[in-house]
Amino acid sequence: MSRFEIYSPEGLRVDGRRWNEIRRFECRINSHPTSSDGSSYVEQGNTKVLCLVQGPMEPALRSQSSTAQGSLIVNVSVTPFATVERNKRPRNDRRIQELSATLTRTFNKAIVLKNYPRSLIQVNLQVLALDGGLLAACTNATTLALMDAGISMYDYISSVTAGIFDGQTPLLDLNTIEENELGFLTVGVIGESEKLALLLMEDRVGMDSLEKVLAIAIAGSHRIRELMDIQVRNYGKHKVAKLANQ
Amino acid sequence: MFKGFEVSSNEQAFTLETLKSGIRFDGRKLEEMRDIDIRLGDEYGYVEVRLGNTKAIVRISAQLAVPFEDRPYEGIFQISTEISPMAGPMFEAGRQSIDEVLISRLVEKAVRRSGALDLESLCIIAGSRCWAVRADVHFLDYDGNFIDATCLAVMVGLSHFKKPDIAINGEEIVLFSTDQRDPVPLSVLHIPLCVTFAFYNPNDVEENIKGSSSGELILVDPTMKEEAQSLGSMTLTLNKNREICQISKAGGLPIDAPVIMDCCSIAYSIVERLTEKIKQLLKDDEAKRIDINVQRALSAANDR
Amino acid sequence: MSVISVTGFGHQNVSVDSDSEDDAMGDIEATGFKSSIVTPGERITDDPTWMRGHGTFYLSNQTYSSVAGSISRVSKLLSVIPFHGRYSPETGDHVVGRIVEVSQKRWKVDIGAQHDAILMLGSVNLPGGVLRRKSESDELQMRSFLKEGDLLNAEVQTVSQDGAAFLHTRSLKYGKLRNGVFVRVPSSLIVRAKNHSHDLPGSVSVILGVNGFVWIYRTKVNANTKTENSASINRVSAQLSSSRDYTPGQGSESITRLEEESSWSIYSDQNDEDFPETIKLNITRYRGCILALAHCEIGITGSRLVNAYHASMVYDNIDALVSNQVKEAIGRDIIEAEKMRGK
Repeated sequence: MSRFEIYSPEGLRVDGRRWNEIRRFECRINSHPTSSDGSSYVEQGNTKVLCLVQGPMEPALRSQSSTAQGSLIVNVSVTPFATVERNKRPRNDRRIQELSATLTRTFNKAIVLKNYPRSLIQVNLQVLALDGGLLAACTNATTLALMDAGISMYDYISSVTAGIFDGQTPLLDLNTIEENELGFLTVGVIGESEKLALLLMEDRVGMDSLEKVLAIAIAGSHRIRELMDIQVRNYGKHKVAKLANQ
Repeated sequence: MFKGFEVSSNEQAFTLETLKSGIRFDGRKLEEMRDIDIRLGDEYGYVEVRLGNTKAIVRISAQLAVPFEDRPYEGIFQISTEISPMAGPMFEAGRQSIDEVLISRLVEKAVRRSGALDLESLCIIAGSRCWAVRADVHFLDYDGNFIDATCLAVMVGLSHFKKPDIAINGEEIVLFSTDQRDPVPLSVLHIPLCVTFAFYNPNDVEENIKGSSSGELILVDPTMKEEAQSLGSMTLTLNKNREICQISKAGGLPIDAPVIMDCCSIAYSIVERLTEKIKQLLKDDEAKRIDINVQRALSAANDR
Repeated sequence: MSVISVTGFGHQNVSVDSDSEDDAMGDIEATGFKSSIVTPGERITDDPTWMRGHGTFYLSNQTYSSVAGSISRVSKLLSVIPFHGRYSPETGDHVVGRIVEVSQKRWKVDIGAQHDAILMLGSVNLPGGVLRRKSESDELQMRSFLKEGDLLNAEVQTVSQDGAAFLHTRSLKYGKLRNGVFVRVPSSLIVRAKNHSHDLPGSVSVILGVNGFVWIYRTKVNANTKTENSASINRVSAQLSSSRDYTPGQGSESITRLEEESSWSIYSDQNDEDFPETIKLNITRYRGCILALAHCEIGITGSRLVNAYHASMVYDNIDALVSNQVKEAIGRDIIEAEKMRGK
């Protein structure tokens, strides 16, 4: 069936992880201080995403201006060199359109938009390298960049993928090889709760194993939140120390 | 969901109050689908589905084609969903709105990606000839929940459709008309059906995010008006083998994970019932056709 | 849901430096707050007596942070100040802005805030003196005064309910900007002061807009004759600035002078023709100095800019100021010089 052994009898995955291990997660906020109001860079394994936030600012079009609340625009672009095969995606790729609509709808509920009447918040995501968990990495990068821009949010949204192997073993944070072989889902979790802002699943998964996969995905998201929080706090401390210096 | 349909804030507040007492304006229970009316056409693969006032037509067709280069052993299956202004004044002709993209992506994921149609059985000669099956969905009237109606219509259409029989003669393919040989049905592996939920929040946003009570209201099969007032939706696709083919909760109101598990079992009972209904319908249709054929054969004998 | 442990892959840098955190908290612990740095969704306090300010939201008694920032308490008002954020205008701010739109009786000005600021036709000086009536023909030729892309400096007159600023340029020190170069720095680096326009050594003047927009230009030649008693332009060599006190009416001009100078020339699009090479070089050097201060995240003031200018004299070539090492060296010099003076 597959050239790869997705999950060995010893309990190891293609890249040597165990079932409940996330990939190396690294993030940085304020990566582009001069070109944007907020920026972040997220690496989840080999998936690398850059996020720049502009705003809140005066909307370019009258239609984007609402007196009740701010509006949010999310643009995603996948660089042609993001995947192993270099291919240029058409501008109106429906998968990308769906992705940005999903992100917009997710963060519409997470940002305190009522604080930004007649304003526009624009989120631009650049996918530099793609190795599974595209939506998850984009969600995490957006969360961090919005925070960097000082935009009010109710809570973190942290995201990770999880799949199921052989209908019984859940695997956390899949890479491309695993994503192609397994049924998997992407969750976006609000803060430390079990509330899901985002839940997308594409392949067939038995109804009874859903709970298992969901549980590990939520636990994984909490872990990601923790890692992001540490990064934000470290940055904050560095910033406060700088101010104290003057 | 679609722009151009506004509900006043007072009406929204009233709707929320009514929903809180478990009442919907069309008298349904919160987790009840609208009446579904499926009509099969005289031709194979023509299906009319009516879900309340939402109406869609599906026409399945098949033709011979060359398979894709990277998939020589598989046939081609395409679903085309174009929403014309016929469905309602809020739809523009020509330009695809983001909602339309989402609908077509969802139906595609529910039916195509879940492998409802056995594509390998559509292969005739590997790499050079295969069947290209096409499902054309036309939306005639819109009153919410296009997705469930579309998915149902496409699946009934696929199960109902019969393609002409063929014979392979070396490199040559002989196509038989329906008079010569009985047409053959497609090989449908399972019947995935969508159930859409709409979410409402009777409390403050803060309560939803930070509160301990999960007081969110959940409706099955929202109408257009209910859709316009909802804070988010989720579409579950299941089959009767207890398999989830697709979940799509693309943002919207945050919902507790256990609540989503409950939604799954609600959806499963709906799907189970619907699948039975479809099976019965197809059986009746088949019986009717045989009946007609038998009668025709008998009458022909009498004429002579 | 079952509880499942998740382990990170490889070695993650998870350890939070607990020592430094304790230091930062200090007095905060007494008031019952967990830490001075908070992130969105974090509970700040369950004490209902606090008033909830910006950057917070609440559910019953619990107050949560909605931004990543540090807690600020002003008497009973609790708010969280984000690490970054756009400039939010306040009445009296001296800002530099760029015209983005000319519309009915008003200009829209980009001042780097959440909303474009509004400059009404009635809040500018037009050629022909202050007491002149604004006629319909003025409305029609608004573009001949200020058009899209023009830079101007102005004062925030009022701030509307939703945060949009209204500007005015009813003083000679405000108006269209010429003879110089524009630099943008984060608005948080500009320290609010009595005066934001400074004459610097080397025949260069600077306007440090509170919004982080900075204009460096050649000191007005014709104004020089009157500078001695004109308070609008404040000489800021390091010693002078501290000794001078604010006098009421500072920055305002006598009506007669306004009448004199409110000619078409204040809306001219022409730069000075005789522009000495040395001033051009000085402007470039100051630009480098401002960027160096911004790079080191040091608050920018007139006196610091002068210090930075002197510190930069070590480098003959101005292109040396481009390198980050040089920028940091200048930043260090300034901080150390200030420490020496016991600041």
